[in-house]
Amino acid sequence: MLLRETIIQAISSLAVNKLRSWLTIMGVAVGVFSIIAVMTALDAVDKSVESGLTSLGANTFQIQKNPATVFGSGHSRNLLANRKDITYQQALLFKKNMQSQARTIGFIIISPANQAKYANLSTNPDVTLTGGDENFSLANGFTVARGRNIAENDIRYARNTAVLGSEVAEKLFPSGENPQNRFIKVNGEVYNVVGVFEKKGAAFGQSQDNFVLIPITRYLDHINEKSSLSITIEALSRKQYQLAIDQAIGAMRLARGLSIKEKNDFEIRTNESLIDSFRDIKIAIGTGAFIISFMALLTAGVGIMNIMLVSVTERTREIGIRKSIGAPRRTILQQFLLESFFLSLVGGVIGILAGTTAGNVVAWKFNLPPIFPWIWITVSMVVCSGIGMAFGLFPAWKAANLDPVEALRPK
Amino acid sequence: MENEAVITMKSLCKFYEMGDQVVHALDAINLDFERNDYAAIMGPSGSGKSTLMNIIGCLDTPTSGSYELNHQSVAEMDDDELARIRNKEIGFVFQTFNLLPRLNCLRNVELPLIYAGVPPEERLQRAEEALIKVGLKERMTHKPAELSGGQIQRVAIARALINKPSIILADEPTGNLDTATSHDIMDIFGALSNAGNTIILITHEEDIARYTRRIIRLRDGKIESDNRQ
Repeated sequence: MLLRETIIQAISSLAVNKLRSWLTIMGVAVGVFSIIAVMTALDAVDKSVESGLTSLGANTFQIQKNPATVFGSGHSRNLLANRKDITYQQALLFKKNMQSQARTIGFIIISPANQAKYANLSTNPDVTLTGGDENFSLANGFTVARGRNIAENDIRYARNTAVLGSEVAEKLFPSGENPQNRFIKVNGEVYNVVGVFEKKGAAFGQSQDNFVLIPITRYLDHINEKSSLSITIEALSRKQYQLAIDQAIGAMRLARGLSIKEKNDFEIRTNESLIDSFRDIKIAIGTGAFIISFMALLTAGVGIMNIMLVSVTERTREIGIRKSIGAPRRTILQQFLLESFFLSLVGGVIGILAGTTAGNVVAWKFNLPPIFPWIWITVSMVVCSGIGMAFGLFPAWKAANLDPVEALRPK
Repeated sequence: MENEAVITMKSLCKFYEMGDQVVHALDAINLDFERNDYAAIMGPSGSGKSTLMNIIGCLDTPTSGSYELNHQSVAEMDDDELARIRNKEIGFVFQTFNLLPRLNCLRNVELPLIYAGVPPEERLQRAEEALIKVGLKERMTHKPAELSGGQIQRVAIARALINKPSIILADEPTGNLDTATSHDIMDIFGALSNAGNTIILITHEEDIARYTRRIIRLRDGKIESDNRQ
């Protein structure tokens, strides 16, 4: 019963200094906001990444020049920068050596940011021009919706055929006109459309359907922008997956002409390795956010203590009056502790609401369902209440132990 | 019954250390107050009357000697026991009123009952009765800032009365009031005394002291005179 009265007293005391209370609350809210927003966003991106990164087919891995993400700096970065591109000749050599151990081996070479045109329609200049072979669709999980895939003969004769990603097809043929046997232009080069791929959707918030696939031989002959090839290998079976990776490393070393002493100058990417490397980023960002939030909450806690000390000094007389009419120490302590507790609690709730909203804006950008990071919400609430209590304890203790004679003495 | 002692003080001393000097604020005080006493403690400033009032009011404890209030030895009590005694046994009326400015009259008056653990409905009812008793029926929901000095002091008296204390302790209750209002307030104390309350006033005004039935004069921490009239 007395607790109820104490709660009412605490809240009405806070209401007297509204601006001051709100400023203190905002301090806590910012700290909680940063951790909740980052964690919600990370969780959202995490879900997106796991679905996006498992885009490689089953039992499939890739060989590329560089890893998906690069950590560290200096020497390790320079080593990566000096790696030579994987050439078509090396890829063909690799294929020759590896053919018997793999179900399929596909090559891809990519040029980002191209503009495709048909009649008077054109796409944004963000279309990926992909040089590939007949295994591209298998290795990357695309199915042909209309027309046909790239065929072996297209590769052999470096024909100017093209298969469109569904987004490009929608942009250039908006009325649902059949794109087959139409001629489109990508960066000035003319291609004959032979098929359209099924829509795959977005990963990382980016469309996976915004590309034009042309035969890799055509690409290498006609596109000046030379970049490194990536090779997609499907193992014979799940059992032989690891073996296939080992064999592929050997075959690639041979194709690259590495001596025994030299290290691999290429990377193996599997679904797992991509997810793992993203985990590293997630942990790095998460740790950073946690440290920053912790600092912010600590600062907020100091702010709470400061404001409560001011409050105790200002209300010395009130404390004296309450004590003179019989308030025990415990009640005074409770009253001031509750005030700091409420400050941090309200700050925590605001931070959680704002942080969840901000995090879910990211989720929404990535076309993901809303996420409520219950664990972080719980952790934040506990930490907030703890900070309110811990930093409020000293001022409250000071108030509770004021000498009533001193407190009542006219100033 | 008439002569039952509410307060008994025996060789009560209070010393303060001021630097390397020891100040004898109260020096071997022997003093009794009986039930329904109506006494004034007088003396020049520095005579120890505030210190005596703080000890009688259980806001402070003596350095040595004994102090019994209603047969309870107060001298050895800890802070929380003292708080309980202040709540149950003593009603304070201060020169500077000491109401909480944010609370209205009713809320101020019921405050001691909150700490006594009285349920809300009963608190409100008793606070209303106390305010009616001091003639403030029309002003119950006003805040102290909306009242005159005399009215504020009546609220303070109502608060002092609410828990039916053994003694009412008034420290210069008219010190901040004009003469006419002072006499109004003293009339209220007179009525309370007639109703059987034990009242101890601290004042330095002779005409206020004349309202009481006993005048105790302090000088340099000692009792100079103790006259009943």
